Amino acid sequence: MTVTSIVIFLLFLFAFGGFVIYDLLTAKRHKEVYRVKSTVTAYLMLLPSVALAFLFILLPILYSLGYAFTDYYLLQPDKIGFVFLDNFAEIFEEISTKGMLYNAIINTLTFVVGVVPLQIGLALLLALFVNRPGIGSKIFKVCFFAPVVISLSVTAFLWEQILAPGPGGLLNSMLSVFGVAPHDWLRDPATAMPCIIVLSAWQGCGYQMLIFLSGLSNIRKDLYEAASLDGANAWHKFWNVTWVGLRSTFVYILITVFIGACRIMTQPMLMTGYMEHTVTLSYYMYNSGYTERLVGESSAVALLMTIFIGGITLMQRRLFREK
Amino acid sequence: MDTRTKELQNFRPNKTPAKKTVKEIIYHVVGIVISVIFVLPIVYMIATSTKSESAYAASVGTLNMFLPDFANLGVAFENYGNVLLNYDIWKYALNSCIYALIVIVLNILVNGLAGYVMAKLTFPGKKLLSFMIIFLIVVPVETSIIPLYSIVKIMLGLKQQMSVLGVILPATISIFNIFLFMQFFENIPKEYEEAARIDGASTLDVFFKVIMPLSKPIIATVAVFCFIGVWNDYLWPSMILPSADDGSWPLLPIQTALITIKSIESITTGEIMASLVITSIPIFVIYVAAQKYIVQGFGTSGLKM
Repeated sequence: MTVTSIVIFLLFLFAFGGFVIYDLLTAKRHKEVYRVKSTVTAYLMLLPSVALAFLFILLPILYSLGYAFTDYYLLQPDKIGFVFLDNFAEIFEEISTKGMLYNAIINTLTFVVGVVPLQIGLALLLALFVNRPGIGSKIFKVCFFAPVVISLSVTAFLWEQILAPGPGGLLNSMLSVFGVAPHDWLRDPATAMPCIIVLSAWQGCGYQMLIFLSGLSNIRKDLYEAASLDGANAWHKFWNVTWVGLRSTFVYILITVFIGACRIMTQPMLMTGYMEHTVTLSYYMYNSGYTERLVGESSAVALLMTIFIGGITLMQRRLFREK
Repeated sequence: MDTRTKELQNFRPNKTPAKKTVKEIIYHVVGIVISVIFVLPIVYMIATSTKSESAYAASVGTLNMFLPDFANLGVAFENYGNVLLNYDIWKYALNSCIYALIVIVLNILVNGLAGYVMAKLTFPGKKLLSFMIIFLIVVPVETSIIPLYSIVKIMLGLKQQMSVLGVILPATISIFNIFLFMQFFENIPKEYEEAARIDGASTLDVFFKVIMPLSKPIIATVAVFCFIGVWNDYLWPSMILPSADDGSWPLLPIQTALITIKSIESITTGEIMASLVITSIPIFVIYVAAQKYIVQGFGTSGLKM
């Protein structure tokens, strides 16, 4: 692995050098002036970050990309061999036979489709709700933000207690007042993912609310006055002033929440364990790569997942970015 | 704005004072209801942390679930004392704090420098680097966690004490923080820099003496992110750190230890909740202290993805 890493490093330097030379050759056409002194300073200042990013971010990604085409088994690194597209064939077989990976994909998609609109919608509503003067709204803001402070693993434990099966669970005991029979929320395939969606949105939306609020504070007040003078109603004001002003904030939140949602792993891992109805893509990857030590297959899934996330993110940017 | 213009602005012919009061009441009632939904689980956590197992079992299904056990406040001290001393939570918390502190300092230096170069200097190869920044933000970390594990293991060898570096070093680089710094620095007017340049300052001087003092909001934001990242991370440390229990000082950070503690058989619900409360307090304090800066950090950086 050490030798391979050095080879990759040299290739990286080579490719990078190519781009630098290209930039230098086309400098005149792009009307750029490069000075030797500022270039040297720039690279010296970039040295720590580029070195660390290469070692701990780029190199693992490149390895993961390479492993996707091998039968790498974590305990026998010497027996690694190329299997070309075998891993992908296996993946498609597991999807078509509705194996664990199929469940992981369905659950991840369910989570993303459920949590992204819920969390962003809630965050926006809460931000609009508290975006006014007065002590009441200040206190509400702190309350809505409070769950963010609790870490994911603490949230998972806490909600495990709340959703506990039998009459002892918080939710069950509260529902029993209305005569609802106790329910095993996390073991029932119909309620497990919705519960995880709700608790994730509950936990996360306060943070996006804060970002929306800082976006709202940047909208000029006179725009609202101008809209009022033009006879705009509340809906028109929201659509033509608030929404337009929040656009770049919204794109940022959409992309970060989407990427975060695709990566979901902690909640199912700590709350239900490796189960058919709650396994997610990241969890599947971790399980097959680290627990079962089948790095090759895990990396192939990783590659497909990265392509999927990258594609959707680019689409979101295209769709929603200001022209 | 003087009071007269304010009055004029608030004046709406179709709104009587009575209608306004009703509106205010509805607003606050709705606000209180939503707030309760958001805070109730936390209240439950704190209330349960003060109870013995039997008191907890008795409170289930009644309103007492959300009230601390005032009759037996001694139990609360017992729960917190047990968790802190018998289960060594304070040692793990101290570990997390030390890791976080080192990561914060290094992370701000490394990524701040990179963000500054990307925002303010021109050099060949910049376009490729800015493309790579966007690309690497999109790639999820989970997809490369196993190669990262192999790389760190090979780099650091098999010595146990070295594995601490395996927790710290990968956390010092964050493409997302470079992105945040970059966006913030781009909005600092170049007049500040030029004034320092005329006085003969070098680029590094400009960075440390002009740019950094102007960037408190973003530095605070990144510091909070770093602290929360290190404090909340449990998966990576559980992979990289030895959990060997030979009586020496443990190396595990708090969240990883929490998962082990939770599975101890004799632990009570109250004690689990007490440990959850303890792990939440530092983040709460930090958020409250830095909240103003975080809003500024995001507000002024423009956030163009």
